[in-house]
Amino acid sequence: MTEFLQHIVDGLSLGAIYALIALGYTMVYGVLQLINFAHGDVFMLGAMVGWYASARWTGEAKSPSIWGAVLVALFSMIVCGLVGFVIERLAYRPLRSSPKINSLITAIGVSFFLEYGGQYVFGPNPRAFGVLPRHPNHVYAGINIGYVDVVTIVTSIVLMFVLQRIVFHTRMGTAMRAVSWNPQVAALMGVNVDVVISFTFVLGSVLAAVAGILYASKYPSVHPLMGLMPGLKAFVAAVLGGIGNVPGAMLGGFLLGLAEQLVSGYTSSSWRDAVAFGILILILLVKPSGLLGKGTTEKV
Amino acid sequence: MSFAAGSALRQMSRVARSWLPFFICIPILWLIEKNLAVLPDWEYAFQNINHIGIAIILAVSLNLVNGLTGQFSIGHAGFMALGGYVSAVIMMRGPEEDPYRLFFIVAVLCGASTAALAGYIVGKPSLRLRGDYLAIVTLGFGEIIRVIIENTPFFGGAIGLSPIPHRADFAWIWAVVIITLLVAKRLRDSTHGRAFLSVREDEVAAEAMGIDTTGYKVRAFVISAFFAGVAGALSGAFEGNLAPQSFTFVRSFEIVAMVVLGGMGSITGATIAAVVLTILPEYLRALANLRMVIYSVALIVLMLVRPRGLLGTRELWDFLRKKLPPFKPDDRAGALIDVRSATIRFGGLTAVSDFSLQVKPRELIALIGPNGAGKTTVFNLLTGVYPPTDGSIRVMGRDTRGLAPHDIAHLGVARTFQNIRLFRELSAYDNVRIACHHLTSESMAAAVRHGDLSVREETWISDRAQELLNVMGLSARRDELAKNLPYGEQRRLEIARALATGPQVLLLDEPAAGTNSREKIELMELIRSIRDRFGVAIVLIEHDMKLVMGVSERILVLDHGVTIAKGLPREIQSNPKVIEAYLGEKYAKEHAAQIAAAGGPA
Repeated sequence: MTEFLQHIVDGLSLGAIYALIALGYTMVYGVLQLINFAHGDVFMLGAMVGWYASARWTGEAKSPSIWGAVLVALFSMIVCGLVGFVIERLAYRPLRSSPKINSLITAIGVSFFLEYGGQYVFGPNPRAFGVLPRHPNHVYAGINIGYVDVVTIVTSIVLMFVLQRIVFHTRMGTAMRAVSWNPQVAALMGVNVDVVISFTFVLGSVLAAVAGILYASKYPSVHPLMGLMPGLKAFVAAVLGGIGNVPGAMLGGFLLGLAEQLVSGYTSSSWRDAVAFGILILILLVKPSGLLGKGTTEKV
Repeated sequence: MSFAAGSALRQMSRVARSWLPFFICIPILWLIEKNLAVLPDWEYAFQNINHIGIAIILAVSLNLVNGLTGQFSIGHAGFMALGGYVSAVIMMRGPEEDPYRLFFIVAVLCGASTAALAGYIVGKPSLRLRGDYLAIVTLGFGEIIRVIIENTPFFGGAIGLSPIPHRADFAWIWAVVIITLLVAKRLRDSTHGRAFLSVREDEVAAEAMGIDTTGYKVRAFVISAFFAGVAGALSGAFEGNLAPQSFTFVRSFEIVAMVVLGGMGSITGATIAAVVLTILPEYLRALANLRMVIYSVALIVLMLVRPRGLLGTRELWDFLRKKLPPFKPDDRAGALIDVRSATIRFGGLTAVSDFSLQVKPRELIALIGPNGAGKTTVFNLLTGVYPPTDGSIRVMGRDTRGLAPHDIAHLGVARTFQNIRLFRELSAYDNVRIACHHLTSESMAAAVRHGDLSVREETWISDRAQELLNVMGLSARRDELAKNLPYGEQRRLEIARALATGPQVLLLDEPAAGTNSREKIELMELIRSIRDRFGVAIVLIEHDMKLVMGVSERILVLDHGVTIAKGLPREIQSNPKVIEAYLGEKYAKEHAAQIAAAGGPA
């Protein structure tokens, strides 16, 4: 039982990170019907920028504090937001009216560019990451709860509430929903579609940056290919919850984190990657619109 | 009637010709192998040449799915791994010596068949998904295959398999390259190839033309996986070892890059790109760290500047084409469409309710009604795009419940679309030829072999397509891309395409939309002449009441999904309900007397 609860705690902490990344996928898909393959790499970039920033300002050597971590996170969010903006502007916007397969190929291209460009600049080896202060784990009834896990879960839940407010209670959020419903009509109603799409990318990238820093603090290391697997899994989480659906992405993230942690806990950790894709295939076969999504049919 | 011996001789010569490229190449390959490849100076060069060969097999096979069929798979390395590992396991347990390489061939075929089987298992469920979902699922499957191999001690785990007997050399690899290219080219040029293309261009229209789109997607996927398996087996037997690390997502991506760079759908393009992308890294060794960066930038720039790839869908051999003689249409009749009380609801909205219609042979029926009356929905019901919520639809005496659109097209119902749905990137000629697809019976194997039936059917298809283009006045436009035709010609091409399916009922969805009044009259004449010439029954959707009065024999009027009137044109004209639907209640009441006088006994 203790072991099970331990897996639940670890799963929730991992799931919170997946959920944060999944939100970026889901929002971009919602407005553009595009899978932003590069999203996982923006997540990596967030961690990498965090590494550089903390090495300069608040790193291990300079006694990390929670406020230092917030500062680093803010810096990384700004950089990633800008990168997200530039990616959309240069790589996706010119292709918006061309077949979807082209955008998909470009997205894969951007993803590889960030990964291998990162490898060229940063070097292929992992580097230690310590932006959060070290605290001993809390132990309740034999269950280990790390300081990082607490910070991760709390941060993610707060950010999700903020996002929910943005999407449903602001002018920009309303515009986002309008564009996702029908960009042409939204444009006719006076919504500046370009601005909305840029905003969506920036918002998603900012969340990915936070997720990157949390993830890097959890497994305290950073490397250029770290975005690949979490990125793909977060996509699975988005599909699981119903792509284009904000609460769905959160639900999917937590479920996937739990499933993965339980499987790797009770069998072998080498199967953890297969779990996510197994879930993906299953959900696409059984309910392609996801747990909370609505089905659509093509109009003839 | 010719002598049996003569026809047998001709048959033999055709078989010989279909295998000719192969017979010419084998001795040449063998000579090169014996005289050049064994020299130590050439070892490095031939190592590269063999890598190129394997890359060509991979690129050309993936092109079948990503290029021709327009699906997007990025898990090709998984199938390659499967073929490689299965064949390697068999070879490592095989005899020491394999003088005629028979055992090797068996092992390769086993590996490739396993990959094909996996392709079927993956493709069957996931090909229902659209482009980007499919991409992720194939990626997922590719990764799962790798994870499984990595965790199976039988396959050598993370270390991999070695030593695998060196059975594949230059001659073997390139013989397979030639087979792959021949299969790809002949499939592409056959009616099956056009079926693949139609799936890429417009699935709904392809279904309406009688093409089983899911079936063709799965077939493309299976064939592609088979060849990926062959490539994996060759790679293992050439290198002497296999490691799971060489079958990651990056490998799949390299293959995708070849297909995209060469031009999605072009076999020659994929081949050239495979050659270039295999040689290039050898010369960029100094930049090894930047290789993937260069790849990705090249891909992004290419998508922005030349989104169709270097060669687009064209082939180098597209410049060699022949002229074709005319043909005679066949004339058949039978029981046609019988709809009884069909109703369809979308959620709470009843789009069409209690709709009944009997179409008799050679009849010309018009379906009219204001915007949103449910006219197109009726066509969608008849062609099986939507199943009815209630009621029954029988086509040629057969209940269509549970039939896919292509099954109904096979029964003899063809349609055009209100918003033209041609295969835009294909020529007018190919648009019509695709529609002949379901009338043929050649197998894919026959198409590849250039078998007797397949040759005769190809000629028949070409003749038929040519004839239909003539009838619709489009013969001069034969080789133009559908998207480049002017609007009116596109509409006529759509009719030609529908006729090519050999229908007994032709459903025309607003063929006159967007034409001026004189063109409309000409079009109605054309429709009448089509009916007389091809002996088909026609159901016509049209807004313009006046127009249909002249041409049709029976009229149905729909309003808000309800059939408000049916009968002869004269009766419809004076029907107060119809006037109300068209002109509003108030007008109908005010002008009741006038209408009665005008529409009464004519």
